[in-house]
This record gives sequence, C-alpha cells and structure tokens, in this order.
Amino acid sequence: MAAVGRRDLLRHLVKAGAIALAAGGAVLEFGAASEAAAPLETPTRRKHRYGMVIDTRRCVGCRACVVACKAENKTPPGVAYTVVLDGLLGERPDDRPLFMTKPCFHCEHPPCVSVCPVGATFKRRQDGIVAVDYDRCIGCRYCITACPYGARFFDFGENYGAVAEGTPYAQVPSPEYRQFRVRAPGASPVGNVRKCTFCLHLQDEEGRYNRAAGRWPACAKTCTGHAIRFGDLGDPESEVSRLLRARQPIRLKEELGTEPNVYYLL
Amino acid sequence: MYVFDEKIGRRKFLKLSAATAAAAAGAGTLTGCGTVGSGEHAIPASAAGVETWGRDAGKWIPSCCNMCGGQSGILAHVVNGVVEKIEPNPWNPNNYTNISTDFFEGYTEEYGCAEGGAICPKGNAGIVQLYDPDRIKKPLKRANRDKSVGADPKWQEISWDQAVEEIAAKMKALRGAGEAHKLLWMSEDHSFTHIQADFCKLFGTPNYVNHSNLCDVARKASFGTVMGDGRPLADFIQSKHIMLFGWNPASAIKWVHLPRIITRAIERGARLVVVDPYLSDTAAKAHEWVPIRPSTDGALALAMGHVIIRDGLHDKESIAKWSVGFDEYARYVSDKTPAWAEKITTVPARTIERLAREFAAAKPALADVWSGPGQHSNGVQGGRAIAILNALVGSYDRPGTMVMPDKRGNKHQEVHPDDAAQKTRKEPRFDDLGKYPLGHGSGVYCQLFSNLAEGKGPYRPKMLVCVFQNPMMSVPGTDTVAKALAKLETVVVVDTMMSETAMMADYVLPGTVYLERYDLNSHWVTWPALGLRQPVVKPLFGQPAEYELVALLGRKIGIRDANGKDFFRIGPLSEKPIEDVTAWYEDFLSKELVEGAPKMTLDELRKLPGAVWVDKKGTRYEKYAEPVPPEKLKGAFFDPDRSGRAEGTAVYDKPKDKGGKRIGTVIGGKAVKGFATKSGKIEFFSKWLGEKKDAAGKPVDPLPVYAPRDWQPSSEYPLYLINWKEASHTHTRTQNNPWLLEIKPANPLIVNPETARKLGLRGGDAVWVESPHGKVKAVVKLSRRIHPEVVGLQHGFGHTAMGRQARGRGTSDALLRPTKADPLSGQALHKENCVRLVKA
Repeated sequence: MAAVGRRDLLRHLVKAGAIALAAGGAVLEFGAASEAAAPLETPTRRKHRYGMVIDTRRCVGCRACVVACKAENKTPPGVAYTVVLDGLLGERPDDRPLFMTKPCFHCEHPPCVSVCPVGATFKRRQDGIVAVDYDRCIGCRYCITACPYGARFFDFGENYGAVAEGTPYAQVPSPEYRQFRVRAPGASPVGNVRKCTFCLHLQDEEGRYNRAAGRWPACAKTCTGHAIRFGDLGDPESEVSRLLRARQPIRLKEELGTEPNVYYLL
Repeated sequence: MYVFDEKIGRRKFLKLSAATAAAAAGAGTLTGCGTVGSGEHAIPASAAGVETWGRDAGKWIPSCCNMCGGQSGILAHVVNGVVEKIEPNPWNPNNYTNISTDFFEGYTEEYGCAEGGAICPKGNAGIVQLYDPDRIKKPLKRANRDKSVGADPKWQEISWDQAVEEIAAKMKALRGAGEAHKLLWMSEDHSFTHIQADFCKLFGTPNYVNHSNLCDVARKASFGTVMGDGRPLADFIQSKHIMLFGWNPASAIKWVHLPRIITRAIERGARLVVVDPYLSDTAAKAHEWVPIRPSTDGALALAMGHVIIRDGLHDKESIAKWSVGFDEYARYVSDKTPAWAEKITTVPARTIERLAREFAAAKPALADVWSGPGQHSNGVQGGRAIAILNALVGSYDRPGTMVMPDKRGNKHQEVHPDDAAQKTRKEPRFDDLGKYPLGHGSGVYCQLFSNLAEGKGPYRPKMLVCVFQNPMMSVPGTDTVAKALAKLETVVVVDTMMSETAMMADYVLPGTVYLERYDLNSHWVTWPALGLRQPVVKPLFGQPAEYELVALLGRKIGIRDANGKDFFRIGPLSEKPIEDVTAWYEDFLSKELVEGAPKMTLDELRKLPGAVWVDKKGTRYEKYAEPVPPEKLKGAFFDPDRSGRAEGTAVYDKPKDKGGKRIGTVIGGKAVKGFATKSGKIEFFSKWLGEKKDAAGKPVDPLPVYAPRDWQPSSEYPLYLINWKEASHTHTRTQNNPWLLEIKPANPLIVNPETARKLGLRGGDAVWVESPHGKVKAVVKLSRRIHPEVVGLQHGFGHTAMGRQARGRGTSDALLRPTKADPLSGQALHKENCVRLVKA
C-alpha cells in the first residue's frame, strides 16, 4: 500500500481511456505529451484560447463541479456537462480510485463538429469554444457518437420535480448562450444535443471572463480542492499557461489528434 | 451597503451605497465570422433574458449554508423572488481554510480570500432542497391512533393557528399539572439551539437534547480528557505528517475548507496516512492506507506509543513541563508491543514500527480521530490513546498540530426560569446523562429511547417535540425507537420532509430550509469568526421558521421568566414588546451579537463583507503558555496551595465558594493559562477518571486502555458491518434531492472480493444483511477498498418515507443494532455491529 506513483497513474489513465472513454470499441492508448505545453499554431489567429488544467492530485472526487454545473446551466436529468471518473488505479492491491473531472475538452480538432449534417455545432473562432446552436440542431446525435470523450448528452425532455411540478423554480431559464430559454415541453433544447460551453454566457462583450466577479466556469468556481484551473491558454501569463510550463501535463487520447484544450496534471 | 455589481467592482463589497448603476451586460450575439468548414454562425442572445435573469439582475445575498452542519458561507442569487444559484462566499474563512495566516494572505475586503472560496455538492444542491415538491406544506394532524410502523397516519391538514393552539394547550396542561419535565425536546445541534434551550429552561424541562451524541461526543470526551479541549482542529496545511484514524475529511466534508487544506498540505510535502477499515475517498488521496479491524485503533495507537517511548523519540522536555501521568502511561505501554497490536488490529508489526517512527520523526506531525473509531463501545479510550500520540511529540496548539480553537462568538444569554419551572427542571434528566462520566450536554439519545421503550427511567414522559431530527433512521435500533415513540401521548415533529419519524408523529409541522431562516454560526476555524445565516427568500408556504414557532408557543402558553417578563414577546435587547415574531427574533440575535465577541447588531453584521465577522487578530498558538494577566492575579484564589507556588496549583479568579472560575494553573513557577483539564496539564493518565464509574456501573480506567469492544463477531455473525459519510449526502436528510441522487443514487454494500468468493456472492447480487436484531436487503458491490473481515455502506439511504425520490432507494442499517450508547460519553454506537450475509 505504497504511495501513488506516477507510473500507476499513467497505467490507470490508459485503462480509463480504454474503459470509460472509448468510442467505437477501439482500445486506445496515449503517451505523455511533453510537447503539449507549447502553444499551438492554429490556422486562424484567435483572440483567446480557453482551456483547463485539472490537477488530479487536488481532486477529492466530491463532485461539487457536477452539481454546480447543473445549477448554473439548469441541465435536466441525465445531462451533466462534466462528470467525475473514479476509475481504479491498476495493479494495486487496494482498488484505489483516481478522481478526474471530465468536461468537454473543446478540442482543437473536434470530431463532433465535422459530422454535424446541419452545421449546428461549431468551434468558435474567437475563443475555441465548441458550441451548439439549438435552433439548428436536429437531434440526430451523430456528434455524440463522434466524440471520443463522451462529452455530449441528449436532452430527452425529462425534468426534475422542482421544474416538472411548477414550483417557483420552474420559471428560471437557463443562461446558456445568453439565450435564457425557459424549459418547455418540446421546445429546444429538448430534443437537442447538449454539452459544456465553458460557461461562455459569463463572458463580457470582449469575450473575457472575470474570476473575481464570479464570471468564471461554475465547476472551477466551486471546486473544493481547487483542482480545476481555467483560463486563456493563448495568454502566456495566465495561470493555466504557467502551470503547463511548470508541470508535466497529459491529455487524453493524444493519438486521435483531437488536441484537447483540457490538460491533466498527475 | 452590500452591492454585487459587475461594472463597478465585480463581485465587490462596497462600503458606500452610492454605487453607480451599471447597465445590464450587453446582449447582442455571440459570434465571430466563420472558421473554414466549421459552420460557425451567430447564435442570437436574448437581451431581455440578460436583463431579467442575468448575473446583474436581482440580488446576491450573503448567508450561510446548512445543507449539513458545516455552515459554510454562501452567496444566494435571488431573482424575481426565486433562488436561481448558490455560490461560495469568499469572505467566509470556513470556505477556504482554518488558520488565519492562510486566510489573510491575499485577502481583500473587496474580493475576500485570494483563491476564492468553495462549496461542496450539497451546498450547490440547496436550491432543489428548497424547491423540492415533496416538502411538507401545511401542518398535519394524525387521525389514526394506530402508531405501528407502516400504519397510515391518516393525516388531516390543519391551520397553523389550530396547530399552535392545540400543541400549546397540551404543553400548558403539562406545566399546569407540575409535569413540565415530562416534555422531551430534541433538535439539530447547529441551528436555532439557543432559543430552544431557553424555551425548555423557562418552560421547566431539563430534557433538551440534541444531535451531537449521535455524532462525535466520543471524540469530544477523548480529546477533552487528554487536552482539555473537546474539539481541537487539525492544522493540516502547516503539518508535515498527518495521521487520520477513521476520519474521512476530504469526502465527508463537514467544513468545505477541508479538501483544500488537506490536498495543499500534501502539495507542501506533508505525508498523509489514513487508518481505516475502508479505503475512504480521503484514503484515496493518502500516501498510505492502513486497513485495520474496526474498533482496534486504540491498540494501534498504544503500540505506536510503545515504539516511540522504547526508542526515546518522545518530546521529553514538553512532556516534563506540560503533562502529568507520563510514567503511568509509559509503564502501561511497555508491553503493548507491535506484535501484540498486530494480533488485535491485523496491521503487521513491522508496519506499526515504521508508522510510529515516521510519526515521531516528522515535525510537526498530528494524529486525529473522528467517528470511525469513536462509535464503538471502546471508542473513548481508543480516542484517548490516539490523542495521546500528539502529547508524546508536543503536537498541541502549535502550528501544524492539533490547535485549540478560540471559539468566541455570539453569547448565549442566561435566562431565569420562574419558581414552577425551577422546580420541574430539578427533576432528573430522562436520558440518565448523569450516569455517564464523560457525558455531553447534548444528552444520550440511545438511553432516552431505550428508557422510553422499556418503561424505565425516572418517570414517564408524555410529550416529545422533535425538530429536524430523524431518530427512526439515525438512532441505532429502529424497532426500539418506534416502540418508544408509540408510548408517548403526543409527538410533534417539525421538518421540511415527511421523515420516518414524522410518520410516527401526532402533529407534523412544516419546517424551513436554511434559505428561509436566520442563524448565527460561530465557525469551526481556529480563530473567532461568525457568519450570518439570513432568509434569502420568505418561507415558501408562509410557515413560521422554527424559532418563530418556539416564540409563538411560548406566547400562547404565557411563559414568563423569574421576573415576570413575557420572555417571548419582550425584545431581549430593546426590552420593549415586539409583536412581530421575526422582528422579536432579530432582536434576540442582536443581543447575542452585541454582548458577544462581534459587539455589533444584527444589521451591522448583515452589512459586513459576506455578512461574516472575522477577528482580525487571527489564530493564536500555544495559548496554554500565556501568563494569567496580572490584573486577574490580584484577586486570584489558589487551590490547594494558597501561596500559589506549588506546581500544578489551580488558579481561580475568586474563591471557589464564591463562584470562582478557573483561569489557570501554576506551571514551572508561573501562573499560566494551562490546559482545561483537571490537572491543568496534558493528561496521559487521568487520576480523577479512576474514581468514576461508567453508565454500566463499572470502574473507569484512568489510563487509555485497550479493551475489545462488547460485540465481537461470532461464527453465526462473522462480519463487521460499518457505515460512513461521503460528499454526496448529509445524514438521512438529502436522499430526496435529485441533483445529489444523480451523483450518488444508492448505497451498495461494499464487500471484499475475497470475502464474497467464500460466500459465493457476486457483484450486483441482492443479499440479506442479518443480525440478531433484524435483517435488511442490500446490493453487493465488490471492492478491495474494504478489509476482508468487514462489509460497509454509506449512511443515509433506505428511506421508507421522506419523498418520492428517496423511498425504496438503498439500504438503512439502523435496525441491525441495539439502541446502545457508549457507557463513558453516551455516544450512539453506529458502528458496533456484526452481521452475516445471505443471498436474497
């Protein structure tokens, strides 16, 4: 029952990749991404490149992030923009879990985007956030299949009791995309695919977040271990950029070439 | 003025009310021009939505959470009269850390603590607790006289007036007959306790009990006897070696700062060792998990003490100056070798050797224990053995050790009951608290219920008021509790949900969720800090808050104090009649604040950043070494050496027969604060305890002896059954909360694969968990996270009532145990249980 070693973690992550995240049945592996720390050259110049650095050593698996996201985005039952994996570290005698919160990775090359037959989902040029236009989405769910990380959810139209039974809370709209849609049967986003937006509705007109103002992704704002760090990966002085330089981050399923904008520290 | 204004100060506290109004954040469209092949296009935003529901709409109201007893700070966003979102309150230290240097570093009045606070999943889910459609909305009166478990109560809705009228009439009749003591009152221990205690005192019953004896009074007794402080706090973040026995602070998050200060301690180089039969989520973060047989932690601690003394690793100087009884302890542990402990604990002797040496070598190191080892019949002595590990290495009240918190906060005013009340208050407590030598003011629920059920105890109580408590699931021995409740003439339950206990009641009154009510919370950090809980919305169903109900009953009964004062009508601070009960209670709270450490009124507290008062002086260490101030020494009384020179002489502020209060001890020739123990020093050996008898009449050992707990596994019931808490739920209170059910929908029974193989069980199998007291059904989950001799589950599930989401979900193990308390502290024994598993 010795200390958790880096090797254990890597082995675990390979397993997690294979078990929890695999799409299409392939067993996938990924290597340590030493080059990942370098800012990417992208075909178009972006004002911001938002991303996360999640420190698994600080994550206690409490799932405050999951619930805070729900509270912020008013997601219905079965839709959780971030989930916490608690896969087991391999080859240990004690089934010790490794906790990892897993939002949408807002990939540089998002496989979910190219499969959309109606152009409802796209990667925003200004900040790299992968968004869904509920008015265009036809609910075909190709994107759910295409996402190698299980980050997309279908809204089947279910409701929590507080919404379904007309309590005062039922009138509260979701602030997503600053559209403030009130939940109604059959109305979007019911029947659409939904996903993490990095709480982009909290940006100001310049596309900036403000942590001190509470205009910050809900998961990062509530994190009890302060494990979820968010910021502009394009800004070399941001906390996330500094962390990527100082530590050895990994990304899940590097071999797919998706280039996630969410990194993990082990 | 408290302003939440993005344009001016972001999330900013402004002293001036003249904040320039900010325009609503621009709406427009969220767009950019198309990236090649991306299909990017504009998504139209709703300007009206931003204005009506955005972060700048409505109000952000600072308050305190009460999803559990942790009382973290929150900011509630209330828009159009609806709580839309709850976020951390960065001004409240409880959301960040427990020591002041960490809190004040980077703290600004405008933005609070440097990294922002946090709230746990339960805190985030408070909204759906408030708007749960299954809440009780109207007072209910039972029509069915049959009070057996499962009987339909045949509820009839009644008006609040009728409810208060009828309940007050029953109370008045009791009081009129000189039987006020036959009223039992039980409540939560974190909310509106003072007014309930005052009510009981003025009414004339000694039988006010609350939650703590279901929780951690064993720990309080353990640390209390050794260090004189029942609730020292682990200064994790400054520690270099943290050893936790049966405590899961990173997951059973009582105070939301715990995950941060524990993971940060590890980041700063601390080693974390968790001793537990279950690899808890805290153990998942540890460098080392030490699986142990339940209830044997004390033996492990004694063997560690043996190694530390044998190898001369103890802090001899501190021990000589600041403690008593070391020699007796050293003699006792001289044969408590690691080999001895291995047989008891299953922890290998060589592991114990290493654990002891690592603990003694690291500076500062700390050892803490909570309810895991505490909730067994040998829990208090085991806890003493663990507390003493700190004493061996000088780990008390110094940075990175077990710090004794400075708990100054609001002051509970003293009320003076009239003659009639005085008379009935002198009746013995029905829970036999006096029999428990280390009993706690919260009473002894187990004794109370078994006395009731078995017709024992000093008299026959007639009435029970049960506020926000669910003993049918939270007191061991459900059958006994049910039998006890059925014996009372009148049971009144106040709760937000129809609990299993409420189903046994004669009256059920709708309670308030914390977002609908007031309270003052002295926070569990190491220096004085007090947060305000305030109603962020009005009670949804027009119901009075619990404290208002108490005041209404007091008025209706016509309770007066010794001076004839109409206590529940005259404002305690203003001393004027206040008809509105809310305003009266605000005055009550103001009095506690003005006379307490904050020295301000309720409204002044409300206006502080985050509505939290924080003592700027911060954490003080080594308070025991502080000299007694010369002005206090002038009139001091010394006992027994009147000259005040002899080592260990107690110092009182005035002669004992004139009500003198102990203010210190003569140590090393000086009158210093010392420790709040009998000797004034750390006690390895408590002589006074050796003169006591426990509740069963057995002599108490003055040493922290290891003795096996009463109930041991047998061939018939071969497995230990334990239970625990996780971040996802609070006690039996949140299992109807759909957001929390989404992160933890049920509580499978964790079984080691090796054990399961022997029993022919597989993961997912349904099993009967059987004890001599009954059987419950559970679903097996296989995991090597649990000791092979042990099975266990998360506490709180298995409701038969409460609400549509909770009913029939998971397993409650409460009925598998006897209704039994630890004979020293009165601690309910939730973890002393032996079972067998039978495939269902």
